Amino acid sequence: MSVALCLIAIVAANEARDPLHARIDQHIAAGFADYAKNAAPIASDAEFLRRVYLDLSGTIPTVSEFQEFMADRSPNKREKVIDRLMNSFGYVRRMVWFFDVTLMERRPDQKVPRAAWESYLQTAIAENRPYDVLVREILSSDGSEPNTRAAAKFFLERDMEPHLVTRDLTRIFLGRNLQCAQCHDHPSVDDYSQAEYYGIQAFVSRSFLFPNARAANAVIAEKADGIVNFVSVFDKAKKQYTITPKMPGGKAFAEPNLEKGKEYKPSPASAAAPASTPPKTKPAPAAAATAPIPVYSRRALLAKAMTEPENTAFARTAVNRIWAMMLGRGLIHSPEWDHEANPPSHPELLELLTSEFVRHNHDIKWLVREIALTQTYQRSSEIPESLANRESIPADRYLVAELKPLSAEHLAYAISQAGGQTDTDRAALGPKGTEAQLDARVAPRIAPFRSTFAAPAGEPEDGFTASLHQTLFLKYGAAVRGMLATRSVQLGRLTDPTAVAEQLFISVLSRYPTADEVKDVTEALGTASDRNATLAELTWALVASAEFRFNH
Amino acid sequence: MNPAIDPTVARLEQELKHTRGLIGCRFDSTGRFLFVSSEDDLIHRYDLLGGAPTPLVGHKSWVRGMAFIGPDAAGSAELEAWGQRRRSLHAVAGFAGETLPIPKPAPFVLVSGDYHGNLIWWQAELPEPKPIRTVEAHKGWVRAVTTSADGKTIASCGNDNLVKLWNAQTGAFIRNLEGHTSAVYNVAFHPDGNRLASCDLKGVVKDWNWKTGTAERELDAKVLTKFDPTFMADIGGARAIRFTPDGSRLGCAGIVNVTNAFAGVGNPAVVMFDWKAGTSKLLKTKEAFQGTAWGFAFHPEGFSIIAAGGSGGRVWFANPDEATTFHMLTVPIGVRDMDIAPAGNRFACAGANGTVYIYTFTPGATPAKPAPAKKK
Amino acid sequence: MPRCDYACASTDHAVNRRAFLGAAGAVAALGPLGFAAPGAAKQLAKQQKRVLVIFLSGGVSQLETWDPKPNTDTGGPFKAIATSVPGTHICELLPQTAKHMHQMAIVRSLNSVSNDHGIGAKIMLTGRKPEAALEYPHIGAVTAKLLGDTSGSALPGHIQILPKGGSGFGKGDAAFLGPKFGAVTLGEGKPPSDLLRPANLTVGSDAAREAFRRKLNERFAKSRKSASTDAYTESFAQAEEVVKQAEVFDVDKEDPKVADRYGRHDFGRHLLLARRLLESGVSSVKVSHSNYDTHHENFDFHIEQLAEFDQPFAALLDDLSDRGMLDSTLIVVMSEMGRTPKINDRYGRDHWSKAWSVALAGCGIKGGAVVGKTNANGTAVVDREVYSSHLFHTYLAAVGLDATKNFYPNERPVPIGDPEAEKISEILA
Repeated sequence: MSVALCLIAIVAANEARDPLHARIDQHIAAGFADYAKNAAPIASDAEFLRRVYLDLSGTIPTVSEFQEFMADRSPNKREKVIDRLMNSFGYVRRMVWFFDVTLMERRPDQKVPRAAWESYLQTAIAENRPYDVLVREILSSDGSEPNTRAAAKFFLERDMEPHLVTRDLTRIFLGRNLQCAQCHDHPSVDDYSQAEYYGIQAFVSRSFLFPNARAANAVIAEKADGIVNFVSVFDKAKKQYTITPKMPGGKAFAEPNLEKGKEYKPSPASAAAPASTPPKTKPAPAAAATAPIPVYSRRALLAKAMTEPENTAFARTAVNRIWAMMLGRGLIHSPEWDHEANPPSHPELLELLTSEFVRHNHDIKWLVREIALTQTYQRSSEIPESLANRESIPADRYLVAELKPLSAEHLAYAISQAGGQTDTDRAALGPKGTEAQLDARVAPRIAPFRSTFAAPAGEPEDGFTASLHQTLFLKYGAAVRGMLATRSVQLGRLTDPTAVAEQLFISVLSRYPTADEVKDVTEALGTASDRNATLAELTWALVASAEFRFNH
Repeated sequence: MNPAIDPTVARLEQELKHTRGLIGCRFDSTGRFLFVSSEDDLIHRYDLLGGAPTPLVGHKSWVRGMAFIGPDAAGSAELEAWGQRRRSLHAVAGFAGETLPIPKPAPFVLVSGDYHGNLIWWQAELPEPKPIRTVEAHKGWVRAVTTSADGKTIASCGNDNLVKLWNAQTGAFIRNLEGHTSAVYNVAFHPDGNRLASCDLKGVVKDWNWKTGTAERELDAKVLTKFDPTFMADIGGARAIRFTPDGSRLGCAGIVNVTNAFAGVGNPAVVMFDWKAGTSKLLKTKEAFQGTAWGFAFHPEGFSIIAAGGSGGRVWFANPDEATTFHMLTVPIGVRDMDIAPAGNRFACAGANGTVYIYTFTPGATPAKPAPAKKK
Repeated sequence: MPRCDYACASTDHAVNRRAFLGAAGAVAALGPLGFAAPGAAKQLAKQQKRVLVIFLSGGVSQLETWDPKPNTDTGGPFKAIATSVPGTHICELLPQTAKHMHQMAIVRSLNSVSNDHGIGAKIMLTGRKPEAALEYPHIGAVTAKLLGDTSGSALPGHIQILPKGGSGFGKGDAAFLGPKFGAVTLGEGKPPSDLLRPANLTVGSDAAREAFRRKLNERFAKSRKSASTDAYTESFAQAEEVVKQAEVFDVDKEDPKVADRYGRHDFGRHLLLARRLLESGVSSVKVSHSNYDTHHENFDFHIEQLAEFDQPFAALLDDLSDRGMLDSTLIVVMSEMGRTPKINDRYGRDHWSKAWSVALAGCGIKGGAVVGKTNANGTAVVDREVYSSHLFHTYLAAVGLDATKNFYPNERPVPIGDPEAEKISEILA
């Protein structure tokens, strides 16, 4: 313990001068006795390259990208590839997946079409819009303006249902799953209170979808009245509390006293403002024009209250989610259970990341890059001999890199690349083809993977499952078979078995084959009655292997 | 067209109110009595000359098929004369007409079929008709009952895919007409005395030589049937079937263009066969309407009447050989059956709300407006 | 009916199942009657509990099934018929089922609260009123998890057979229990997608590539191994087992005489398929029969649909009974709602949740029991009103599970059954 304390002191001393990635490594090293001796070594170039491609561009490298990187002798070649990927379309694509899945959790696209939503996210990520700005847009758009409607998807697809929206605001943006606190203070988490839950709900409880939640073109409207009361189901006396909008740990907002009859702004369609009730449902096309707009909007307060620096849980949760995206495990694990009894694995590190993130203007790209540059991120996933088996390694000490399952999207893109389908697309586009054009060809292949591998609508993607359905899809499914067809044809042009083995392993697993593996391939081809069939078998076996299924 | 009957002057003459939804209605051959079946398992006999309805108690389920044996339809003219006499007496002596004694009806028999598969013979003119006999006729519903032109044979059909023939006098079973592969929805004797037409759920119409029991032809009314793939069930069949008095044409009425069987979304229509040639034309209603043609009949003057229920009630009139209707009446409620009085001077619609709406072709001083339907 | 004489939740009785299933695969290969080998089936029956939900989609009429009201203003044209239980009558549209009433129980006093198809289905299948912020798992997922954890079967624990559509994966119905317990969907009774080896992949090629995949995995596992990678590699072994048992999904392997007893129509085939799945170790099966949403011509359509239901349902009860499986298989016949007692203008009945019926049979059910009562014309419950939550507790209790325990999604306790309800003891054996 004294060693650890001592290390913390060193960390503190170094903080001032080192770049963030170095300070991250210092914190991680300080978190385990004899870290340097016990931690896995830095990943090999091949291991690093596959990981960084998947994490920063959503797919695996091509054969030539692999060979180019391996041939590069410059000392900063890892930094170079990180920067190249982060300035490519691949980074945008990968981060669209991240924000889409985090914010929407696979909900069906009923009110904002997928294309509009993805396009909105693409623009935001391409220009590296600060995270707080992005979230302010998402929480303040009412969906009535065509150019900002996509941002309202978070609320619109949740039908602006107060409990659902409250739950997801707290889980997704604050890392606090307050669902239980709907009915009573959390029974096992002391700092999740019912008042906290209803304080957030008070921001949104007056809002509703207009003309109704079923209309595809519904917009968010708000009433000027409506009080949030709650009673604990545990309270025998049934004491009723009334609460106004309030962030956890924040101050309640002072609410204006508006003159009766002047609570609403005159809408463009009707000069006569409604009294204290919204107008009756009108047919859809007029929805936006006739939706009531209160003079004092509680929802309008939400975007600011959520994203301002005083609400530290906001940046802390974002940082933790990005960390989890890169490292496979949050400093707070799982990312929606931030409370006193579930402290971060490295509290000072989380504090540091949070404050630096805010200081860097909520810059996601900067944060991702800093994490990618760490030794912690670049550590091998191979368990060192000194650590007998993985089960005994404390997962929260980052001694060995996590094996991260590929998401539905990653799997689709990686199989398409491994199987040669993406190469075919690239060739068809010719030298002038852009990454975006290539992406437009590959993206439609995601659909069957999403329906097979993605979590159910409304459920977070957490944990790994291997259902029968998924495995049969990989084993005998036509989608995968089709994507693998090109590779065996291409390998068939090579005559030397060693060359076949090399090309095969680089294409699919982004590494050179071992001597044993070259021998296996040579033997298989030597006894093959149908060479093409054997090549297809080998390609499939690599794609279906655990090594491929995980980002290791 | 006989100028004496102008369908466009048809007007509501009378509403006979019952509390429970109606299923079938038939005039006896004199036109004096109207027999109405309802969801209370009863048949109600209305005497159009006056008086309270008489319930026929015997069935234990719903009745839709009703047919008569006798009396001679000649009596019809006398009844009209009686009615006129009474009206003229009213004109000169106020309600003294009430004292004019109601004539005693000639004997006749009603044969009715119910949804438990039974046929009941009734002495139908008695003050309180009682079943003469009950025959367990079909397995499952009896959907229709009819009498041969000579009054000696009764045909029934039902959900056991059979048409059955019975001795009208004794109730004795004569024979099955076997061959339909789905529930037989309706049956009609051809006026020539040898043939009989039946139509099933799948729109298959069979032309039987009922004296020998052989199916001579199969006609196609499949436009009246549909397997609804959404709900995975069949809808169709002839809800009404009639020959023209000369036997040259056969009309099968039902529902076409079904897009939602379970909500009854479709249109009423009649498949009109040229009986000799076996060819058909579809008679559709001029006005759009969502529902089923539950009633259909040829008027003695040659035009036909279609009555429908669904999103409300309608009656249409169509001229022979025309593909669409020329006149429409709105009935206050969905119509579940319709019959034209033998003299052709009126027709009755059985309403889903329990009311019988009787329309007359006799021009009246003040055309009555139907009262708004009271939903049952 | 005798109570199941073994502890449902006990793992002691379940340990030999994997061995049995291995044998069953071999027996099945011998011929269509393989699974009927009585000794083996009896053993299976003693060790595992299963749940079959027959879902009459659209909302079946309680008056045309379990709670007839003949000769009343709401009764419609049908008769009530006697059953194998003296004093209990059901609608004449279920003549075969009536002969099995001594193996069944009826709840005639259900109020399911919602007249909406989607919400009603959710209420009936989850035993809860929907909550915006928490999705509850369906009964099939719950029982697959609680009964299937120790089943040792390679087959998926939760399968639903739908009348239409392709095969797929209903991951939503498991909610927080996770996709492992989501229903594998067999649309039109077709086998799971990608179950069958593609024609252009030879048996030899398939084996060769599997062998190479295993070799790669073994090498990878030497230095990189986690619970997730193990789960992944094991899933291929499971898939291979299921592929070997592919015949389970093929009703054409049944004796034609058996198929005749179930009826040569989709629902007959689907119930027969359900029986094959249940006896092969699948814990939870749901079969949907479409459709009963009879706003128009309720009586005609119930004749057609219930004729399709009655024969195979009776055949299924006979089969399960013959195989010694009825005592260990709970069967629930439910719908998303009932239908209005009032008959509308179009001979239809509309949506109705206030007072309707559900039938149960088999494991843990007191044969011949009838609980709850509606008034003379079925317009209100007059005795022992229950909600879907009571039924949910009852289903679990019938197969020896305790719905008052908790699941722990995200480390928070969520009661398995609605804590405000309890089991309906009167119909439990």
